[in-house]
Amino acid sequence: MTESNFCGRTRREFLWQTGAGFTGTALAGLLSDDGFLDRQTVAADGQTAWKNPLAPKKPHFEPQATSVIFLYMYGGPSHIDTFDYKPKMKGMDNKTIEVKTFGRGGHRNQGRIVEPRWNFKQYGECGQWVSDLFPHKAEMVDDIAFIHSMTADSPIHGSAMLMMNSGKILSGSPCLGSWTTYGLGSENQNLPGFVVMLDPRGGPISGAKNWSCGYMPASYQATIMRSKGTPILNLAPPEGMSRETQVKLLATLDQYNREHQATRQDNSDLAARIANYELAFRMQTAAPEATDISQETAATQEMYGLNGEKSGTFGRQCLLARRLVERGVRFVQIYSGGNHNDANWDAHGDLEHNHNLHAAETDKPIAGLLKDLKQRGMLKNTLIVWGGEFGRQPTAEYAKGTGRDHNSYGFTMWMAGGGIKGGTSVGTTDELGSKAVEDRFHVRNLHATILNQLGFDPNKLTYFYDGLDQRLVGVEHVNPIRQIIA
Amino acid sequence: MIMMTRLSTSLMTLLVLSASSLSAADADSAESPAFYKEKVLPILEAKCFECHGPKSELKGGLFLGNREGFLEGGESGPSVDPDALEDSLLLDAINYGSYEMPPESKLPDEEIEILTAWVKAGAPIPKDAEFERPEGHHANPATLVTPETKNYWAFRPVANPPVPQVKNSDLVSNSIDNFILQKLEAANLSPVSPAEKQKLIRRAYYDLTGLPPTIDDIEAFVNDKSDRAFEKVIDKLLNSPQYGERWGRHWLDLVRYADTNSYERDDTKPFIWRYRDYVIKSFNEDKPYNQFIKEQLAGDEFEQPTPDSIVATGYYRLGIWDDEPVDQKQALYDDLDDILLTTSQVFLGLTMNCARCHDHKIDPLPQKDYYSFLAFFNGVKRYGVRSHESVMDASIGPIAVNAEDQKRNETRNALDRELAEHDRKINHVDRRLQELMTPPEKEDFQAVGVRVDIAKKYAGKGLSQKLVSEYAEAVRRRQEILDTRPPEVAQALMVKEVGKTPRETFILVRGNANVEGAKVEPAFPSVLSPPEPVIRAPSRTESSGRRTALANWIASEKNQLTARVMVNRIWQHHFGRGIVGSSNNFGNIGDKPTHPELLDWLATQFMQGGWKLKAMHKLIMLSSTYQLSSQSSERELAADPANNLHWRFNMRRLSSEELRDSVHAANGSLNLKMGGPGTYPIIPQEVLAGQSRPGAGWGNSSEEERARRAVYIFIKRSLVEPLMADFDFADVDSTCPVRFVTTQPTQALSLLNSEYMNRQAAVFAGFLKNEAVADPAKQVELGLTRITQRRPTKAEIDRGVGLIESLKQDGVPDDVALKYYCLALFNLNEFLYLD
Repeated sequence: MTESNFCGRTRREFLWQTGAGFTGTALAGLLSDDGFLDRQTVAADGQTAWKNPLAPKKPHFEPQATSVIFLYMYGGPSHIDTFDYKPKMKGMDNKTIEVKTFGRGGHRNQGRIVEPRWNFKQYGECGQWVSDLFPHKAEMVDDIAFIHSMTADSPIHGSAMLMMNSGKILSGSPCLGSWTTYGLGSENQNLPGFVVMLDPRGGPISGAKNWSCGYMPASYQATIMRSKGTPILNLAPPEGMSRETQVKLLATLDQYNREHQATRQDNSDLAARIANYELAFRMQTAAPEATDISQETAATQEMYGLNGEKSGTFGRQCLLARRLVERGVRFVQIYSGGNHNDANWDAHGDLEHNHNLHAAETDKPIAGLLKDLKQRGMLKNTLIVWGGEFGRQPTAEYAKGTGRDHNSYGFTMWMAGGGIKGGTSVGTTDELGSKAVEDRFHVRNLHATILNQLGFDPNKLTYFYDGLDQRLVGVEHVNPIRQIIA
Repeated sequence: MIMMTRLSTSLMTLLVLSASSLSAADADSAESPAFYKEKVLPILEAKCFECHGPKSELKGGLFLGNREGFLEGGESGPSVDPDALEDSLLLDAINYGSYEMPPESKLPDEEIEILTAWVKAGAPIPKDAEFERPEGHHANPATLVTPETKNYWAFRPVANPPVPQVKNSDLVSNSIDNFILQKLEAANLSPVSPAEKQKLIRRAYYDLTGLPPTIDDIEAFVNDKSDRAFEKVIDKLLNSPQYGERWGRHWLDLVRYADTNSYERDDTKPFIWRYRDYVIKSFNEDKPYNQFIKEQLAGDEFEQPTPDSIVATGYYRLGIWDDEPVDQKQALYDDLDDILLTTSQVFLGLTMNCARCHDHKIDPLPQKDYYSFLAFFNGVKRYGVRSHESVMDASIGPIAVNAEDQKRNETRNALDRELAEHDRKINHVDRRLQELMTPPEKEDFQAVGVRVDIAKKYAGKGLSQKLVSEYAEAVRRRQEILDTRPPEVAQALMVKEVGKTPRETFILVRGNANVEGAKVEPAFPSVLSPPEPVIRAPSRTESSGRRTALANWIASEKNQLTARVMVNRIWQHHFGRGIVGSSNNFGNIGDKPTHPELLDWLATQFMQGGWKLKAMHKLIMLSSTYQLSSQSSERELAADPANNLHWRFNMRRLSSEELRDSVHAANGSLNLKMGGPGTYPIIPQEVLAGQSRPGAGWGNSSEEERARRAVYIFIKRSLVEPLMADFDFADVDSTCPVRFVTTQPTQALSLLNSEYMNRQAAVFAGFLKNEAVADPAKQVELGLTRITQRRPTKAEIDRGVGLIESLKQDGVPDDVALKYYCLALFNLNEFLYLD
């Protein structure tokens, strides 16, 4: 019963926010109690009454998290150089050993060890080991749950990123953010429900496939937000058009459209379209307000590392993420790293150079985000997810140098806030970190945990497509990672 | 794996030793009931029952709660093999062999030892410790192939139902109306009045061509009082080349047409645009649908192929392609699955997807039928293996349709290879000569004719005699080849098979390419009571002939689904919704037909008329049902709000292509040039920034090219033009039977603020100024007319003039004020919606 009631067949708990000066009359008729745009077959027939697909919806049970910030470390950070402490590798540098690995260089049975290049120390009450790469994040370990035994289906960026973002190695499925807004709608209609921020060096490989809504309608697609300049594509009126001019233009448009609608009252799409012009107009104000970080104190800006030479950009994006979540944005994904090679965490060449750079760019901002959310009481219902599409191998990729190839047999990700038990660790890899051995978890378990914290039974959040009920976590039953849930 | 086996063997030896050295206490003997209850069962309960226990969903169909469950096993086979206990799958899995169970982490050694001892003792389970297999895991009767399931409406042969009698026969224009009126009358409802002529012709133009009529077209129709006035319009539209562009695009949605492969590189599919042009041409030629099917599925195997039938097989090359897959074998089956499910959904309205891993849970499609169907495609070479060269080898070839073409192609290729040899030799000598020549000679050397003479001067003086004579010969031969080689044979993306003998096909356990089950041969889905496929390898090509057998069966009049599925699609694109709403899914989970008799009657008409689409369009459009107004009626709206009974015509919003094309039609810039490689609209920097190499793989087109119809826009899977995406362009990774129609604020933002719309508004303003000189009222009137295809009222004109004047008073320059008005026009609901 719960299942069939879900997604649209449930009663709405919230009304669409009625902002000042907004055409409440046009909208009143658009909010009815049943029906939802969940079947493509009825979505295009010109008859199905229009529903706001992003109206807030209740999940299956009381959620621990109402928003998600996914800090995506594109390229794949090395787990054994960051959070997965491997003391037995000490002194083994350059030793050739038998170990099965699979990366872009294919399957191998032996390799030359690259000893972790940073010292580890224990932090917090939980005593979590953290490498010197992350001095700031290390202070926050008691708020973080580490999953040391992650596994994924692919050690190749293209398919692995699709796996991490959409649960499948094949292109064409909706990503996590689309599932989230599909399931929960959005709390603030003046802002997009699902925001992606990119590294200024470029997008990740496969670009928009990583934030695609796949077979779901465009209502659930991501909005790319820029931390500088006009935050959203087409948000600013064309150059030279004053606000006054735009208001006049919209007023004239409104008159034409209402006249047209007068004899077509039963078509709710027409009313929705009229309403959307007012909504768009409001977004023009709301989005720049949300992204105006000059409203933040100097201390806050400093906490996010905004003044740092390397950490400024990511810090700004983290601060924006907090401001968006504060305003009801449901899902924010920030990419650390872009483009190719050392412009992201993909350390095939010089491991030290690569990871020193990306850690310096992100450490303080992420620690600042956690601290700031905590002091504002927002961490308890904001779920933070950190990690890349896979980890890296214990051995060297080439005859010389410290570069590590990809590793999907075992890697670390962490979560914090949103009902996650801080100061915990789950799972282990073997002594080299070459593969997960205890309490192994798959990307599907990670996705199930995220959905669970958002109030969903991950096996019951479905979208009917292609003749079957599709799920983010796939057809087989998947459990969330109970060990890290508070 | 050898290591693993050795390890397990030694473990077992250890175990046997320790087991035998234990005391004789009851629970220590692996055969004893206590051993099971006290040692084995606790492990099973803690580690296995969540997925395979009495309260679980029985993953993989495996139940470990009683002995029968172990012996029967699941989809991967029995867990315990009484004839070879040590080789039992259970032991393999807990030792992390070919399976890894439990998946979270390997059992501790002592638990592995206990289970091993128990299995080796024959896996005895005392009766009082057995559980019942959980309920609800028995097959759903609807999913078995039985006389009952074969009698499902869509699997029955197409009937030719009699045309029903109706009371209001004066409302009938043709038999379609009888079927529609019969149901309306039965529900005590009446259709609304016919649409006004202006609205009807606008509807017809967009439906058939995706473009608006001109005001002259409309007035000619309105003033034509003859009975055949509308029929003449339909004929004209069906004969216009824009018809194929509109209806071809519907087909391209179905077959997930795109110009690139997706994934990291998202490279261009060479020559794929020829397939798009083939589709458009086929619609324009009114190619019989059964021939259209055969060309796409097996045009390469025709006894007498045509250039079209070769290009048509690009059908097999349209899907996504991962050039760097995790597992090559699995990737092969992923690609075949993509082809299979597209083919079954598009041509047959069957969603066979779930049968890849297990018997279909809703429709009578056993897993065996899936793999038997897959066998028809199992001779097809994969799109490529890794490199561009591998794609050229597996999927690109000349459009050579007869022996003469093939010979010409071979000759040309051989000569091209020879040419490359000569060029290499000539370049070598040329470089040497550059070092030897005097400055005046270098000057002369620029002329080709003197080169051999110059070279001869250096024979024996820096160049060997032999080299010089070879040089002379190479230059001569090179010119000869250039003069005489046959013209190049055009290349196309096409299907190729591995040879006369396809790969063997096996049922894959749980869809896993590395776990092969029983071998299968090509066969059609058994629920359709099909004939045995007759497979003959064609004489003239290296392929198996399997696809020809498939094509012939699908394109047969006896096929229960093919004609039904296609007439339903035609209906869908005229009325907004098919008689079966889920037009790719006629199975149990799909929508039921609102008018099953009408569907069958149309299917029969379609086949009797030689599978021609244009006749069907005409039949449908000449019905009173199609010509109804879209106006509401209170009583009917209350009784049938979804308009399932067709008491009125459904309004619709323009598709993304129609919107774009209409913008260019309105502002006079539309370029009707057809065919060829895709065009590149300007994509804003903000969107390009999402690419790992911003701008990569996106070309430049001239302004004229960018004003071509949207069906010619280059479709890059990882970079969709934002206006198209906002207005619900098809997702191109899988078949798209019905497009969404969303209404969202980003659409308003892009229509108001985007660079593209503002550029087009400026073009529109220029056009209006040019056509209507300096009279703002005339400009507004012409603008409104071109947007709405009707004469505007005075109030509408005054409103526009009022805006322009008001903006001017604010200091906005005249041209800009008109441009802003044009921008408003592009945002009118009346522009985007059809009655």
